[in-house]
Amino acid sequence: MKLTLTGNLNTKPRGKPSFFSKTKIGIPIIIWLFLLIIIPICIMLVTSFYIKEGSVVVKKISLKNYLEFFINPIYLPIFFRTLLLALLVSLTSILLGYPLAYLVSRKVKRFRNQLYMLVIVPLWVSYLVRIVAWRTILGRVGVLNSILLSLKIIDEPLSIFIYSPFAVYVALIYIALPYVFISIFNSLEKIPQNLLDASADLGANSFNTFLHVILPLSMPGVISGFTLAFVIALGDYIIPQQLGGLNGLMFGNLIVTQFGYAFNWPLGAALGFIMFTVAVVILLISQKFGSSEGFLE
Amino acid sequence: MSNQKTEIQLINLTKKFGNIIAVQDVNLEIYHGEFFSLLGPSGCGKTTTLRMIAGLEEPTEGEIYLAGEDVTYKPAHLRNVNTVFQDYALFPHMTVAENIYFPLKMKKMKYSNARSMIEEALTLVNMTGFGKRYPQQLSGGQRQRIALARSLVNRPRALLLDEPLGALDFKLRIAMQKVLKDIQKNVDITFIYVTHDQTEAITMSDRICVMKDGVIHQIGTPDEIYNFPASPFVASFIGDMNFLEGQVIQKGEDTIFIDIEGKHILSSRLMGNFSLGDSVVTCVRPEKIGLDKVCRKEFQNKFENHFQASIHRIVFRGTDYEITLKFGQSEIRLIESASEFNDKKIGDQLFIGFRKEDVITFLKEYKKVYDYETNLDR
Repeated sequence: MKLTLTGNLNTKPRGKPSFFSKTKIGIPIIIWLFLLIIIPICIMLVTSFYIKEGSVVVKKISLKNYLEFFINPIYLPIFFRTLLLALLVSLTSILLGYPLAYLVSRKVKRFRNQLYMLVIVPLWVSYLVRIVAWRTILGRVGVLNSILLSLKIIDEPLSIFIYSPFAVYVALIYIALPYVFISIFNSLEKIPQNLLDASADLGANSFNTFLHVILPLSMPGVISGFTLAFVIALGDYIIPQQLGGLNGLMFGNLIVTQFGYAFNWPLGAALGFIMFTVAVVILLISQKFGSSEGFLE
Repeated sequence: MSNQKTEIQLINLTKKFGNIIAVQDVNLEIYHGEFFSLLGPSGCGKTTTLRMIAGLEEPTEGEIYLAGEDVTYKPAHLRNVNTVFQDYALFPHMTVAENIYFPLKMKKMKYSNARSMIEEALTLVNMTGFGKRYPQQLSGGQRQRIALARSLVNRPRALLLDEPLGALDFKLRIAMQKVLKDIQKNVDITFIYVTHDQTEAITMSDRICVMKDGVIHQIGTPDEIYNFPASPFVASFIGDMNFLEGQVIQKGEDTIFIDIEGKHILSSRLMGNFSLGDSVVTCVRPEKIGLDKVCRKEFQNKFENHFQASIHRIVFRGTDYEITLKFGQSEIRLIESASEFNDKKIGDQLFIGFRKEDVITFLKEYKKVYDYETNLDR
């Protein structure tokens, strides 16, 4: 009897599930992924190589649209300006969002949840409504001008606030901030108290604890917050349309124009694919830097 | 304990969390180079006491002196004591070497200068060559050693250990106990060791402080704690113990006779002042009780207390048997080695005997401070 017990208890080879059992759970997700993401991107990629002759799209493979991006003097400057603005927006969002997240996560004990909700609550309001709200703040007869007038800082309302890259910059930060906040907040929350105790115990004052323990351990949150803000800012075209004026035009607006007004879908697709590539590159880079995610599981 | 220089002194130390009193009026003196244990069940305030010494918790009342200096309100990072945490608290974003370098870096020491100290600390805990690994790549026991090295590299005045072996399995724990004890001898640093494991405390400590519900019950050497428990709680928490209840019927110079279920028991280890008629709790350790089939002359000479009881339960424990005997409503347990067991059976009438010095007696009103739960824990 004893011998039979020590025999093959595990007749099934373990650790090597069949291909089917491994993938069948993923099948709905794969279908979803294909229908909603991969196929549209492929269609866009293919369309970007077609050309528009007169008012018809000719299904002929050509690099004309991509050459247009490099040759036409409209595109490159706005493209780089958009990249720069997205970079500035995400950096500023981090600089504003980190102290806020740190405050709510580590420094506040009472009303902690309420503060958290206060930062998140704008996400419940329609995006468009929030953008229009900024017009009432930055406009010629808006809140900002009224305050400055009543404080006698200016004599007549200024029109520099609205319809400028500055207005776009401010509104984009406003939109991106809650996302940046959430991702940094979550990474701060994951840091166990005993690591901070250990740091103090080993002779680190609160500044050194922040610099050597809290900051490095919250980097994954900073990086994912940065990526989110960057991608949000990069692709936005409503804010420039509503608040940007002529100088505040962004690359997203050029793409919308090709699709919506010029009806040059191939060119729009090509411009869109260029921006898509930039976003993917940024995501890949941040994933490489953010691979430290596994520190605190 | 080469010299009796006081390293740490706690005076009337009290800590309240809201209405809950975690530590109440604790007075302690810990000597230089001592292995001192704070022992008690969970929630007894031992960890809070340790955290107050470390500076991670501010006392509500009282004072803490470290090497003669009042450090009661000194922040943790300025105190020359280091803690080994139960779950190690190694920095996951740093390698082992960087973890050990951390306290030195906080002292503004350059890495090139700290190198030899880091190597020395790794050698001390027998982990040479592990410097480049990350904590996640180490086993529990290895992480514990690194945490120890990190806390010792600074040569603190005292090392505070908060249940450092609690997360390890039994065999590793026994091995680490030896490692800790050896290291403590090597470095000549005061160790303050928090544990709920009485065996661990007894085998490792120079002195033990037994706590319950925030109050110190007894401070003493393992021998004193085991043989002269100051309260029924200490008696029940450390080692195995029989508890019997009875009344004082006769009082001598330093002995009393106690009536337990009609048996007259002589006790000479009296914890308190007794008067005739007092209700008392009497304690006898199982291993101090002898067993005889016929109550021979030698047996009677050896044990002042001897009477007949019947076997109620027998539990085989490998090297020995635990036998429970019953007389009246009372039960008494004793240990019999396997070689002397000789096929005893339930229901057998036998004589049990124990010496008057081994009978510890407390007043019964004192009983409220011990509970039988702690017996079940073992």
